Amino acid sequence: MAEARYYDIRCVEGEITLIDIDNGVVESAGTSYFDRAVVRVLGPKGWGILTRDHVDIDSKRERDALVEEATRLAAVTEDQVDIADAPRGLLPVPSLDEDPRDVDLEEKTRLLAGIEDAARIPEVVNTRARYTEGIDSIRFLDSSGNEYSYEAVRSGFSVLAIASRNGVMQMGSERDHVTTGFNLRDKQDLGRKAGEVAVSLLDAKLAKGGVMRAVLDPELAGVFTHEAVGHASEGDLVREGASVLEGRIGEQIGCEGLVIVDDPSLPEFGFIPVDAEGVAVRRTEIIRNGILTSYLHNRETLAAVGNGVPGHARAEHGAPPIVRMSNTFIENGDATYDEILSECKNGILLIGSRGGQVDPGRGVFQFSAEYGYLVEDGEITDMVRDVSLSGEILSTLHDIILLGNDRKMNPGYCGKGGQVVPVSDGAPHLLLEKATVGGRGI
Amino acid sequence: MNGDDLIERVLRVGERQADEVEVFCTRGQSVSAGIKKGILGIAEESETWNMAIRVVKDGQIGFSSTGDPDRWKECLNAALASGRIATPQEWGGFPKPADIAATASSADPDLVVGIEEAAGMVVDLLSGAAEHPVEVIGGGADLARVNLEIANTGGVFYDMNRTAVAVSLEAIREQSTGYEFDASPFLDEIDARSVGEAAASLAARSCGGSDIETGRYDIILSPIAAASILGQVLLPAISGRNVKAGRSFLADKLGEQVFDEHLSIYDDPFAPGPGSTTWDAEGVPTRRLVFVQQGVLQQFAYDLKTGYRYGEESTGSAVRSGSGEPGIGVHNLFIDGPRIKDAGEERVVWIHDVVGAHTANPFSGDFSVEISNPFWMEGGRPVKPIRTAMFAGNVFEMLREIGGLGKDDRRVGRLTLPSILLNKQQIIGK
Repeated sequence: MAEARYYDIRCVEGEITLIDIDNGVVESAGTSYFDRAVVRVLGPKGWGILTRDHVDIDSKRERDALVEEATRLAAVTEDQVDIADAPRGLLPVPSLDEDPRDVDLEEKTRLLAGIEDAARIPEVVNTRARYTEGIDSIRFLDSSGNEYSYEAVRSGFSVLAIASRNGVMQMGSERDHVTTGFNLRDKQDLGRKAGEVAVSLLDAKLAKGGVMRAVLDPELAGVFTHEAVGHASEGDLVREGASVLEGRIGEQIGCEGLVIVDDPSLPEFGFIPVDAEGVAVRRTEIIRNGILTSYLHNRETLAAVGNGVPGHARAEHGAPPIVRMSNTFIENGDATYDEILSECKNGILLIGSRGGQVDPGRGVFQFSAEYGYLVEDGEITDMVRDVSLSGEILSTLHDIILLGNDRKMNPGYCGKGGQVVPVSDGAPHLLLEKATVGGRGI
Repeated sequence: MNGDDLIERVLRVGERQADEVEVFCTRGQSVSAGIKKGILGIAEESETWNMAIRVVKDGQIGFSSTGDPDRWKECLNAALASGRIATPQEWGGFPKPADIAATASSADPDLVVGIEEAAGMVVDLLSGAAEHPVEVIGGGADLARVNLEIANTGGVFYDMNRTAVAVSLEAIREQSTGYEFDASPFLDEIDARSVGEAAASLAARSCGGSDIETGRYDIILSPIAAASILGQVLLPAISGRNVKAGRSFLADKLGEQVFDEHLSIYDDPFAPGPGSTTWDAEGVPTRRLVFVQQGVLQQFAYDLKTGYRYGEESTGSAVRSGSGEPGIGVHNLFIDGPRIKDAGEERVVWIHDVVGAHTANPFSGDFSVEISNPFWMEGGRPVKPIRTAMFAGNVFEMLREIGGLGKDDRRVGRLTLPSILLNKQQIIGK
């Protein structure tokens, strides 16, 4: 049988605690368990990958049997894959302010109920809050003798309010997730905010579609960064010819002064102490002063594509590692929020995010705001709802005409290849010259 | 200990501490052959096992799940602890064993879940794609078989097999991409070569599109585009839980003409499809459910929990995804109605897919999305690609008056639907 050139095994044993409160009723609250292992073998050509429940990583006999099976799988592949050497190293995991395991389920439920209750203001007809806690124990070893283990703790919640008047229904939602400890205390203000946004949207107008100037708040500008640049800079998409950023290293693709970074080492929601291939993580500047500088890589895409930084392999438990973002952001410029609004003159201010999506090969992306305001003569006027934007990767970064000085990071989850991983996005307020706004108002 | 013995053990031990116990076990095996650089680059095989336990005591429902049979006790205890926190509710018990006369098949007994079989389908995908001048940038073939078992302390013990065959291919030519896919429980329903050809054809034909002016246009949503938008908005609106919680636009409209009279929407768990089943994820016998009959709203979907709480009957609509708790869903949802006899000579905008459907507002129905592979269509044929544009609208308003349904029914996930002609929709050009 053909030989394995390389193998690694990554086991994640974990607990997920979920609490769901809907209109004051505790629908469910409890903990579930998983224990998944992924075995990867690089055969003479490509990858063979096995996924199993409950693997005893310390048993040499079990490991050998799995590696042999994965090697057999790898034998059917034809694509010639090589992996680059990359620096190793495990960062310390930030210590927890308060360990969620020290808080019992009753108290978590009570605190979540407080947040949900705060959203229930007049005209709000439904409130819902969900708590999500994940405690993962990760163990990794590879055929070169590298081994590491660490624990990842995530705790956070989302709260949704729906307001209704005369058959019109609108929603407001807030969320907050961290990797630094228990995250349900003193958060009622976010519940209240969800309620207030839902109620004020009852009076909002439909946005008018067209091309206009747009101010993005830090949360939406973070999603813009993630969709417009982040995905297209992922080395696997570049390798496959599926990104418009292929072959553009050194090219000016954005305005002067623009710096876009992905940094898995920051203690934000996308933090990882080491990547899913055992490679050390570090700050990667994708764009420096408007020029495309680095792709995000794993060992395979670094070998195939070059021009970038490894340490960006991530995996959901029970799934093979792929190139992913972690904490992605635009660095601050020097404009104040007031300067940005006044420079916008006439346009639209967009706030919050309902997510986005990109077709990196075509270079087109879409993302949605929670709500917005019309800007007239540099002043904020009427509230508008259901506004999405679309843009084209290769031109949109040239359309940034002002970069604010007030960057904020926001936690979220990103899906790719059927895997969902925690990330954070951020930016300062941005002013875009020509944004395509997809409203249906007249 | 494994399999049926383990299930029996959990029921007996759990019963000592709760009024009722339910165990749902899944055991699955899958293979996947992935395309990289236009050839087979990755071969995967996966085995999964999961056990989900629900306990009920004094109307409090607890839940937990585990992927490790040796940890069943911990899982049972977690379910009991979970139940002690849940708000008590009206509860009439898990279902008793029923005489299920109906049949439903979502398994292909002849399907071999082997990597060589998947690799063979990749060859077919690539040979189809080779008919057009494109680069293949992704895709692959997946084969899976899963065994599902449900048992409760009321005496229910059902099991079934499901199979799944899925192929997809993504191609690019210059800056024009094309993606196509197909999935079925049955191997002979999948033509990998045609899927590869269709994806490549889309990428090749979409090159050199022209701009479109902002304005109102008659449009055709392909079954894929329609499924993306309707899946995000329509499915939550017919869930009884959302209805009773005040989260559904359709909540107070039973018996009303909510959609065009040419639209009917029903769930048929007995039709062959990926969700076919004679019992739902709580062991309740399934039935055909007509949600919308010729535009008139007939009923909503319920599971046991929502049904008992609000004095409604379970409609056998419980589904599970992954190892999670059961919730309200659909088995095989059909969007149906009389079809347009001939494609008119009118010029319309045809939309293959959309980008960002998940950002639609499920409560109000408002959405604005980027469109993928749009074409000008004349006399029923795509004649000229459109470069890029957005499409904004409201699902509930848009379905109130449709231009008609095409003859091209297609299964997209658990939805089966034709293309939908809509008049005077808002397109935003760039």
